[in-house]
Amino acid sequence: MALLELLAPAGSKEKMEFAFLYGADAIYFAGQEFGLRANAKNFTREEMKETVEYAHSMGKKCYVTVNIVFHNEDLKGLEDYLLFLESIHVDAILASDISVMDLYNKLGLTMELHISTQASTLNREAALFYKSLGARRIVLAREASREDIKDIKEATGLDLECFAHGAMCTSISGRCVMSNYATNRDSNRGGCVQICRWTFDYLKDNNKLTEEPFSMTPKDLNMISFIEDMINNGVNSFKIEGRMRSIYYVSTVILIYRRIIDKILNNTLTDEYKDYALKVLNRVANRESAPQFYDKLPGVDEQYYLGRDEVSNQDFLGLVLNSKDGLIKLEERNTFKVGDTVEFFGPSFDTFSYTIDKIYDKDMQEIDKAVHPKEELYIKLDRDLPKYSMMRIKI
Amino acid sequence: MQTSKVLININNLSELDEYKKVGIANFLFPIKNLSVGYTSYDIDEVPDQSYLLINRVLDTEGINTFKSLIPKLNRFKGIVFEDLGIFNMLKDSDLELIWNQAHFAVNYNSINYYLEHGCESAVISNEITKEEIEEIIDKANKPVVLNIFGKNMIMYSRRSLVSNFNKHAGIGDVNNVDIKDKTDKAYFTLKEDAYGTAVFNKEYFNYINKLDINDNKIKYYLITNLDLEPNKIINIINGEQYGNDGFLYKKTTYKMSEYDDRKKVE
Repeated sequence: MALLELLAPAGSKEKMEFAFLYGADAIYFAGQEFGLRANAKNFTREEMKETVEYAHSMGKKCYVTVNIVFHNEDLKGLEDYLLFLESIHVDAILASDISVMDLYNKLGLTMELHISTQASTLNREAALFYKSLGARRIVLAREASREDIKDIKEATGLDLECFAHGAMCTSISGRCVMSNYATNRDSNRGGCVQICRWTFDYLKDNNKLTEEPFSMTPKDLNMISFIEDMINNGVNSFKIEGRMRSIYYVSTVILIYRRIIDKILNNTLTDEYKDYALKVLNRVANRESAPQFYDKLPGVDEQYYLGRDEVSNQDFLGLVLNSKDGLIKLEERNTFKVGDTVEFFGPSFDTFSYTIDKIYDKDMQEIDKAVHPKEELYIKLDRDLPKYSMMRIKI
Repeated sequence: MQTSKVLININNLSELDEYKKVGIANFLFPIKNLSVGYTSYDIDEVPDQSYLLINRVLDTEGINTFKSLIPKLNRFKGIVFEDLGIFNMLKDSDLELIWNQAHFAVNYNSINYYLEHGCESAVISNEITKEEIEEIIDKANKPVVLNIFGKNMIMYSRRSLVSNFNKHAGIGDVNNVDIKDKTDKAYFTLKEDAYGTAVFNKEYFNYINKLDINDNKIKYYLITNLDLEPNKIINIINGEQYGNDGFLYKKTTYKMSEYDDRKKVE
């Protein structure tokens, strides 16, 4: 059977651990150089080495983004960096700049070369060009349609990776420098300030056409409804966006897609589960999501207008630290109280709901309400739960 | 700047004679269905010995459209292209290929890769500093195309951003609109067509007479004209001050620490 992979973002070592625990087959992350999330925590060289060893010990893979568009000054240090990645046995690098691909070949590196979505590949000839450079996989542009995917697969036989879930650029990736013009921050080197999420006056010949602010923000991508079709058309890797997102977000999204893929493979996927999955996913991001380019061009319904509010997500109530004989030790994340109906979810059991009847503090004194994030608390259940299961508001 | 080395896009066929009168002889024609942002032409309308501009990121339909045009290409001087699918198909042909991959031509290694593997030249980004441009020109293995004056497309979306908003806000069928944010930092022009929305900076950049370069290392001086009359363009070539310094003296930052450092200096 062809490779089928769920690929998670890992903005930190902690997120990497949760991504693997909740079902990712592989992760992608950046070092402190040459990645497009310049202001994320990112990984030191030592952390990268440890991460790769940890992943490989679990039979999982690690891909490192080297996908900025290089300026002259950035070329210094690139060779040393690529040799370092090779030495720690990274499974693949993701590149968009031909300088990286060329150097990869000149150095005779053996880790795989994947073409970043930043290169915006949408046709078979471009894909064949990258194949001729030694690419083993292409992360297709988010704008790829079903026909594009099918045609590229048939023509190249390369592994294809597609974004399945997460935030979208308004622009075709790599083709936007609005940040550079408006704020002098280089979007293609990781400095994007997301101008496409600003609001604007809308003018013709210096006259406002409407009092309503113009916005060009897309809704998030959500491919739940098309995963099976994508598999059938040759997609090998389903990528989740969000290296800056929380462990709760990463765990929730990865678990949903893990279960969707497994249910497809087992022929047990139902419409009811898809509906449930959509509900969970729409809630975890606090914003709407939709398929975008796969089956049609996005229209007015795939964009946000009227200055959308993004409220912070309070759904994540607690992280399970350990459990014994039904006594669950939790690290509190958001407020909850006796009488609340909550849900527990985790990678190795079916999600279940529970109405809290008692909460204990660290001295096993009963309390009515948990109000101190990061505090260690206890509740009693009729079962044990694995470490790093999560408790959330019932969805 | 020698006018014989100017390469300019054409917004109206009547412009040709006016440019020819002053010695401009290299013309760039965006091709219908394969280019975005600028006035485009059916390939049969384009005069012999012109350059074709193909600046769309091509999907399957687009690459097939391009393929169908290949038999018609030999009467042209060359192609200024964005999509690497075109490079893959034509790199061994006799056509002059000029790499113009939007914002990617910002280092000499990338440019030299294309120059060594089938391209006649490459358009250097104008979104880098004077020193960066000069270093690229110095280290390029062949004469390059220098963005010298114009309005760049600073964003290209496959989405119908203008008509979607018009529909949402109940506005009629307007296009070629401007958007401006409240701080005036972002002031852009949006042009939409069947292949999406091109965003341009509101102001022109003008690098004429501002770079210390060896003319022998320049194949063409590229002018991307969105809406100016030929006589204005000719005056600008002759030294009229119009447009801004773009990024010549403004190094972009990308790490928050650098950004904070710059703010302290400013």
